[in-house]
Amino acid sequence: MNHDLERRLRAALRPVDPGDDFSAKVLARTAKEPAHFARPPRSPAVAGWLAFGLATCVVLGLLLAHQWQVRRTQQGLEARRQLIEALRVTDQKLDLANRVVNEKERAPPDSGA
Amino acid sequence: MTSSTTASFARRWPLPLALLAVLFVPVALAGPPAPLKLPDLEALAAKATESVDITLDAALLGTAAAFLDPSDPEDAATRELIGGLKGIYVRSYTFDKDFVYPSAAVEMLRKQLATPGWERLVGVRSAKERTTVDIYVSLDHGQANGLAIITSEPREFTIVNIVGSIDLRKLHQLEGKFGVPKLPLQESPPAPEKPAGK
Repeated sequence: MNHDLERRLRAALRPVDPGDDFSAKVLARTAKEPAHFARPPRSPAVAGWLAFGLATCVVLGLLLAHQWQVRRTQQGLEARRQLIEALRVTDQKLDLANRVVNEKERAPPDSGA
Repeated sequence: MTSSTTASFARRWPLPLALLAVLFVPVALAGPPAPLKLPDLEALAAKATESVDITLDAALLGTAAAFLDPSDPEDAATRELIGGLKGIYVRSYTFDKDFVYPSAAVEMLRKQLATPGWERLVGVRSAKERTTVDIYVSLDHGQANGLAIITSEPREFTIVNIVGSIDLRKLHQLEGKFGVPKLPLQESPPAPEKPAGK
């Protein structure tokens, strides 16, 4: 009995050569139904999460752009303030030079000024 | 390119290379002078009651210019004035009592300004005001492309260095807007340097 079962199992599980055209058949079938493998069905929950992620990215992008704009404006206004201050100091010193030159021109030669 | 390739290139093209050199060297020489190497005045700043430390390179000047309102006459004039500038550097220190400035710092600047290209436009010392003012310009074909001002007053020490093409007439036009005085810049030669009467 046992021997008979063993013999039948061996016969059923023996290695069988699939044949030369096995690979070609498999490839032909996958080529026929590519969508099955490329795009698995998407559940509504996944689509929702994707939309949420996209919206979050857009909001974050806008926020970063706004912050960049604010920082750029601050830098620009600070540069403008420094420019005006630099011109003010320059003008003040040119004014001083003018005053000292005029003073020297007006002063008598032996005044030492 | 290896040195042997360069050498063979130079052998094959001697005339074009010479022409390029002749064409480009004057352009390089005609450029504005490099910014002055300003002395380290940290110690002075620590003792000052008020200090101004401004470093505006070409990029920052561009940023500042973008924030000047072209419809405002003053801003428009300022924009025009700074159009050819490559940098503005200001160090100014105010003290609450009379102060002796580090002469080494001033000498270091004067040495840089003694190099060819720079000319002293104004050099005056007022014994009455105990003030020294030196104004130097860097000229290229009669056009100022650099300006340096060193002033020392009993309670204030200032260095200004402007790099780039400066139209002094435009600076005159700004008179009254930033307090620009009418300077006899072209009319009178530099005043002879006299001892400060110490």
